[in-house]
Amino acid sequence: MRRVTRDRVLNVVGTLARLGLAAVWLVSGLLKVVDPDQTYVAVRAYDVLPKLGVSVVAGVLPWFELALGLLLLLGVGTRLVAWLSVGLLVAFIAGVSQAWARGLSIDCGCFGGGGAVAAGQTQYVQELLRDTGFMVLAVWLAVRPRTLGSLDGRFGAAPAAAGVGARRDARGTEGDRD
Amino acid sequence: MGGAERRERERRQAATEARLQAARKATGRASRGGILGNTPALAIVAIVVVAAIIVGVVIAVNRNSAANAPVAANYPVSRADTVIVAGRPSAPKTISVYEDYLCPYCERLEQRYGDQLTTALNAGQIKVEYHALGFLDANSSPAGYSTRAANAALCAADANIWPAYHAALYAAQPAEGGPGLSDEELIQKGTDLGAPDTFGQCVTGNGNAAAIASATDTTVADPALQSNGRFGTPTVMVDGSKVDLNDTNWLTEAIAG
Repeated sequence: MRRVTRDRVLNVVGTLARLGLAAVWLVSGLLKVVDPDQTYVAVRAYDVLPKLGVSVVAGVLPWFELALGLLLLLGVGTRLVAWLSVGLLVAFIAGVSQAWARGLSIDCGCFGGGGAVAAGQTQYVQELLRDTGFMVLAVWLAVRPRTLGSLDGRFGAAPAAAGVGARRDARGTEGDRD
Repeated sequence: MGGAERRERERRQAATEARLQAARKATGRASRGGILGNTPALAIVAIVVVAAIIVGVVIAVNRNSAANAPVAANYPVSRADTVIVAGRPSAPKTISVYEDYLCPYCERLEQRYGDQLTTALNAGQIKVEYHALGFLDANSSPAGYSTRAANAALCAADANIWPAYHAALYAAQPAEGGPGLSDEELIQKGTDLGAPDTFGQCVTGNGNAAAIASATDTTVADPALQSNGRFGTPTVMVDGSKVDLNDTNWLTEAIAG
């Protein structure tokens, strides 16, 4: 019975992680998609890509974020989407880190905004901590994608009302696969 | 060990085995299709993600296509102190652009509206007063690129190559925080466009720097050019009213109106 309670708690935690990460991607994607020039300037400020690369990244990134957000909101392919989120967050963290390491003065443009800022106005620590927090959500879902109210559940995940033994084994088997 | 005890143990083992088997069956359904999830879900993820990428690429390509076939400038250019007046003086609409050659949003403005402006200037529908400022002088290292570039553009007007030089400075816009284009690079761009030898001395001498600095101070302090009490580049006025650049129809409306 303790296992059941624990699983239930983990499902709730996973659900909060899924919806939280969905909100992150939807909000950040929306803020970028409504202001393409701002997004271009933000991407360019990282000073990593040539012009064409900046155009493509600035064009694709907002829609990619919206796609991840939508899929997480619905709970479709949660584990794959969680891994894609991990990958994107790794890229963001790498981008901010290289800007910091090179002494650039930029705003990450994570949620709109972005571009160069005055030397004393950078917030690299906060930006990296925030991304790390999002990374925790994404890794949780990548490791344990089971959540409540997801479409994944309807596509044939283990029914929520399975017996105690089934739950115990489900955890074990998932662990093996991971 | 008694027979009853053994039977009881075997019964329990069998029950455990049955439970485990049922559980494997149940989780087997969850993992159908591979380690990342079940097949329909993965297909939906693939479709949605690919669709998002295609939308993004198509939009990026559409927005950039204008730059590949720039409209040739065919309008008169005159100079009033530090202000470039592009187009025929008789044009019915006057647009004022306050810009800085280091400002990335100004580069976006030029990229997005450059061809449309050139077309309307060629047709005599508008004239445009370009105020190139030293607003972001502190954002290059060493400071002062904005003023050097603005000075070079004034030299380009004197050399009758301003439209192409203006476009070239934005096409080669350096990153903020860096040194900017060197005097040699600024001169080379003019020479490439057919500027005479005097152009080089005009760029190196930076003789308009003081006038640009004073024009910048006046501009920044002008309440009519501010939003929420602050001036920023680019700022655009149409017949004396400040334009909201978030409204991407501003130029179409200005030309039509």
